[in-house]
Amino acid sequence: MKIVLDRPRCEGHGLCEEAAPQLMHLDDDGELVLDLEEIDGGDVALAKAAARVCPVAALRVQ
Amino acid sequence: MGHFHQGMSTPHTSDVDLFADDVVLDPHPVHAELRDLGPVVHLPKNDVYALTRYDVIRDALADWESFSSTSIAFNPAANQALTGTSLASDPPVHTQLRAALTENLSPRALRGLKGRIEAKADTLVAELVERGSFEAVDALARAFPLEVVADLIGFTGHARDNMLRWGQAAMQVLGPMNQRTAENFPVAGELYAWCSEVTADDLAEGSVGRGIFDAETRGAIPAGTAGHIIHQYLGAGVDTTVAAIGNVVALFAAHPDQLDKVRAEPSLTPGAFNEVLRYWPPVNVWGRTTTRDVAIEGTVVPAGAQIAVLLGAGNRDPRHYENPDSFLVERNPADHLSFGYGPHGCAGQGLARLEAHAVIEALSRRVKRLVVGPEVRVPGNITRSIEELPVLEVIPA
Repeated sequence: MKIVLDRPRCEGHGLCEEAAPQLMHLDDDGELVLDLEEIDGGDVALAKAAARVCPVAALRVQ
Repeated sequence: MGHFHQGMSTPHTSDVDLFADDVVLDPHPVHAELRDLGPVVHLPKNDVYALTRYDVIRDALADWESFSSTSIAFNPAANQALTGTSLASDPPVHTQLRAALTENLSPRALRGLKGRIEAKADTLVAELVERGSFEAVDALARAFPLEVVADLIGFTGHARDNMLRWGQAAMQVLGPMNQRTAENFPVAGELYAWCSEVTADDLAEGSVGRGIFDAETRGAIPAGTAGHIIHQYLGAGVDTTVAAIGNVVALFAAHPDQLDKVRAEPSLTPGAFNEVLRYWPPVNVWGRTTTRDVAIEGTVVPAGAQIAVLLGAGNRDPRHYENPDSFLVERNPADHLSFGYGPHGCAGQGLARLEAHAVIEALSRRVKRLVVGPEVRVPGNITRSIEELPVLEVIPA
């Protein structure tokens, strides 16, 4: 599966990083970086948790 | 949302008045009653369809194509006045307005303020602990956000003296055309007038407010929008944050075991704030309007209906949160509905978190226990907040 970021919608709230620090982080400018986009196994649940807590619905897993 | 099929019915009906004094003072029993009736309930007294359950609310907030923000308020005059703001518009127009609004308000824009906000909170809490007894709403819940927002926008004098009144009124007028709304329109008008007349020179150099005017001069945002953006900062960001911080103090006082958990484990702070917001949302009801007939779990809400999104009811839906009527700081309900969700999710939530986290950190560092007297509440249309909360004794950490 794949994590998809709607970049213009992302405001850098960082809740996704708290939910899935293994998969994504905010860089020094506060921009979200996806460290892993293609995911499988246990990462899928983590990615879904990250997408779930994004307050502006900028992340999805497909 | 759902698919239309044979056997669609009309939603349940209830004679509840969402804006009656006893309901706005304590909405939870009515929320539970409506949630049990169905995911959507028609309320003829308010001429609205209320969304009551977590999943339906979250789906509706994400689905701007079916649920338009052109009717976030419950009276036409307020909706008319909000026309052209990001709050009350839909994509694609909304996308640009939102970008202009969040340019200086997103967490990445606010990172430089974190240290200053934490220092302010710590100084204020230290003074109050030293004093030993105080009225927490005036001395902390109002004083702190007012100082932060005045510093952020860069205003002083007349605006500062009136900001609490103006902020309260800006939320009250979103209710139905009742006495509270009518009385507050002139006050909300004062805020609107100030924001229409304010110029860059009125705002402190280096402030975010001044930065918004600079952005207008540069052409980064459309001409004439700086005042509107400042209006949204103040209209949406003052009263709600005051409510949230008052609730932090009241809930920690009422649940000393939960304060103990945060004292022992400061990394619980963000989760504790999420739980405060879930348990007592500053805003319990927000509007939308349907752009078409919408199917919700076997019932149909007609096109053009006024929707009442019951954020607080969704936050206590037992289908989503276990034991929802308990206040538990370890729950960390990061997906609570109190900031809304999706394209219109609260634009100021980053600032709200900075402020509330700073207050929670300072309290949990300096306070072992708060002994409080009875809280005083007055009915409000949209914001549910504590009016007075006497702290009788502070047992310092």
